[in-house]
Amino acid sequence: MANPIIQRELVGMLRERRTFAAFALLSLAFSMTILVRWPTEPRMALSGSRSMEVFRLFMLGLLVALHLLLPVFPATSLVRERNRGTLALLLNTPLGLWKIYSGKLLAVFGLAALMLFISLPGAAACYALGGVSLGEGLGGCYLILALTSLELCALSLLVSSSASTTDGAIRWAYGLILALGLVTLLPHALFVGSGGTTELVADWLRSLSPIAAILPYVGANDIAARGTASTGTVSVRFMFLSIVITVISSVWTMYRLRYSIFDKSRSSGTMVDDQSLQIRTMRRLFFLIDPGRRSRSMSWLVNPVMVKEFRCRKFGRLHWLLRLVAACAVIALGLAILTTTRMVAWDVGTIGGILVILQVTLLVLITPSLAAGLICAERESGGWVMLQMTPMSVARIIWGKLLSVFLTLALVLCATLPGYLVIIFIEPGLRAQIERVVWCLVATAGFATLSTAAIGSLFRQTAMAIATAYGFLIAVCTLPLLVWIGRDAPFGHQTVETALLVNPIAATLSVIRFPGFRDYDLIPGHWWLIGIVSTASLILLIAQTIRLSRPQ
Amino acid sequence: MTAEPVIDIRQLTKRYGEFTALNSLTLQVPAGHVLGLIGPNGAGKTTAIRILAGLLRPTSGTATIAGADCVKQARDIKRLIGYMPDRFGSYDNMRVHEYLDFFGAAFGIPRRQRITRIEEVMETAGIVYMRDKFVESLSHGMAQRVGIARTLLHDPRVIILDEPANGLDPQARIEMRELILKLARLGKTVLVTSHILPELARICDTVAIMTHGCLRAFGTVDQIGHQISQRRTMEAQLLSVDRISLAAEIIRKGIETDAEVIEAPAEAIVRFRTAVSEETLGQLLSELVRNQIPVTQFRELQTDLEEAFMTFANAAPTGDGKATAAGVKHG
Repeated sequence: MANPIIQRELVGMLRERRTFAAFALLSLAFSMTILVRWPTEPRMALSGSRSMEVFRLFMLGLLVALHLLLPVFPATSLVRERNRGTLALLLNTPLGLWKIYSGKLLAVFGLAALMLFISLPGAAACYALGGVSLGEGLGGCYLILALTSLELCALSLLVSSSASTTDGAIRWAYGLILALGLVTLLPHALFVGSGGTTELVADWLRSLSPIAAILPYVGANDIAARGTASTGTVSVRFMFLSIVITVISSVWTMYRLRYSIFDKSRSSGTMVDDQSLQIRTMRRLFFLIDPGRRSRSMSWLVNPVMVKEFRCRKFGRLHWLLRLVAACAVIALGLAILTTTRMVAWDVGTIGGILVILQVTLLVLITPSLAAGLICAERESGGWVMLQMTPMSVARIIWGKLLSVFLTLALVLCATLPGYLVIIFIEPGLRAQIERVVWCLVATAGFATLSTAAIGSLFRQTAMAIATAYGFLIAVCTLPLLVWIGRDAPFGHQTVETALLVNPIAATLSVIRFPGFRDYDLIPGHWWLIGIVSTASLILLIAQTIRLSRPQ
Repeated sequence: MTAEPVIDIRQLTKRYGEFTALNSLTLQVPAGHVLGLIGPNGAGKTTAIRILAGLLRPTSGTATIAGADCVKQARDIKRLIGYMPDRFGSYDNMRVHEYLDFFGAAFGIPRRQRITRIEEVMETAGIVYMRDKFVESLSHGMAQRVGIARTLLHDPRVIILDEPANGLDPQARIEMRELILKLARLGKTVLVTSHILPELARICDTVAIMTHGCLRAFGTVDQIGHQISQRRTMEAQLLSVDRISLAAEIIRKGIETDAEVIEAPAEAIVRFRTAVSEETLGQLLSELVRNQIPVTQFRELQTDLEEAFMTFANAAPTGDGKATAAGVKHG
């Protein structure tokens, strides 16, 4: 190969066990999808509707798989090189910036291409069933998927170039990609039919999402039954926008790939207490709890591990938490106001549903980054040995760590409660439902914390732990929704209900009677299921921590 | 040494499958002494230390600290020792005093007492001026000092420092040496490993040399030097390098057949280790002169810790760990 970086990166990634595991899982999932839905009757549907059902599921599954598996590779690529010192060596070679960047981008894209390649037999099977056109159907889908892959790679590399740690890069990459794929759909859902600039902007915003772009090609123009149907225009716009984003991200990353990337000095810690009265007063106005103030000694009442976790998180310090809580409160109240102003078009349940989706998305985004590294980050940094050398019991360490996550999530959830209070005020009859929704959210927070903490404790590297935890949680939240997309055809009501039992979003949406989820009775089955999984996760976490804390 | 040993290691062995990381290590260290544990990479120093800290379970043998068994009383051991590993974690976004406060709280030191204790250990470690700095922003030398302050928080009887001078610049190394001596003056028993041998020679009461998991020598630097000086190191300085090979050849013939003779052409020096008498050495010098080799100096080099270390490090492993264990053994 002309570019040595492509060879090194691609071969290096293919040698990794996680790549093998990802490919094995992917091909298994593709095979299962085809096997499960392959027609067993002697006659095939002439309209090709059956094959289109399988094809839709297959392509949306492939899109989700790309979002789940791909970002971790480019997101860790540059930041790992920089932290290991090999990026400086690379920049010192005669290879130009373009060659270094293109090598990295094409290597990860090569991996994505391989993923798409192994899906071809499945796609061919769908085509053989009939009803799926070669150009419009298969060609269009694969074009969208290829452009999505390229965009994901370019964006993740950009994140990697600006992150300081691998786990931070993974966190931001997944957050950004989730925002691009899902959050961009929300404004259109909110403002559809409003007309004017707002609807136009919302429509263009929706065109950023690959989900909206692929829908016309799989014959599922309107998955949420909200009149927000995707059209061919959205797909064309997506193609244009994804190319633009890829180019901008690439140029930006290349701009960052200079020696200045190493010029990151760390503040040695200025103390506000030592500054002038004027500065102290000003800061007091801006910060409710000033991060620059000298912190007090820990009280005997609190768990020291919990305080340590809060203090050593960049966004764990109280002033950041308060900002997050304030933002959540503003969003929740904003949505509640929408309820009052748009009551004619939407019912309260719909607005409550949007609140629920936002909350669960927030939980999914925040929890793995907080919980997955609880144990392995200590092991990776060498802090575990020091914890082992203290007389603290395993139970106290685990409790302190879990408490630091629970409290953060509780604050976030509490911040959204005003929105529900407004809904109850508007429609008092919804009180019982809202109470159940809150319990659902609490259960989701517990499940997300315990499961991702248990997953993270199995790893040595924080980056891998966080990536796997994100993968797990996003899979739990999205894969059952794929089955839900195929509700009634090809999947029956019972199959969809069974699949949705594991999904916290679906369970909460069914409680709030959100359109599309009203017919499913998921509670208390869902609570039982995630209760069992959470308990098993806690047992695994405790067992793993005891194992680690014992003399080897 | 007559005082009651604080660290008592007997026949300590650690095996990983077929590989023996530590082979029948036996040594005792009295209270208030500084023991330097030296050896090349893979000698078993860190294994021994980690067993003492209760982080590793030995395959056989016993290790006690102040009478507490390192395996059976691991919880007591945590209060008795302050352990600083060669690589210890520095939590992000934590300031030095917060870092110390956390470990103080983890050791269950009451709040009021903790505040005073943190000031004391920062004073001892000389880090008062960096109390508000972020730990991760500190230089390696400063971070090592913070690490030592952390080990002192709960006032342990024994301080175990794994390679504390590793990666430090000369100034920081001198400061670290002073700090370890200060700990010894405070009455702490200190066990320190290092590759920087002159540093150990200056601060240690006792030195243990380990290779291949075995104890090769144990005693004061003088005792070890005396033990290996049965073969002294001689040096013949030549006027020019031209006839260095001939000089080495003559020396080889004149001393023991298994003696080591090293040519250093860059310095025009031939070094050799021998136990031959003064008379034989005189004859050897005459032989060199007779062969018209211009010798400007013919002298004996003083044995130092580095020399002793090299002697034992280069010795072939014997397997049982006892045959070559030399020097003064205690207990």
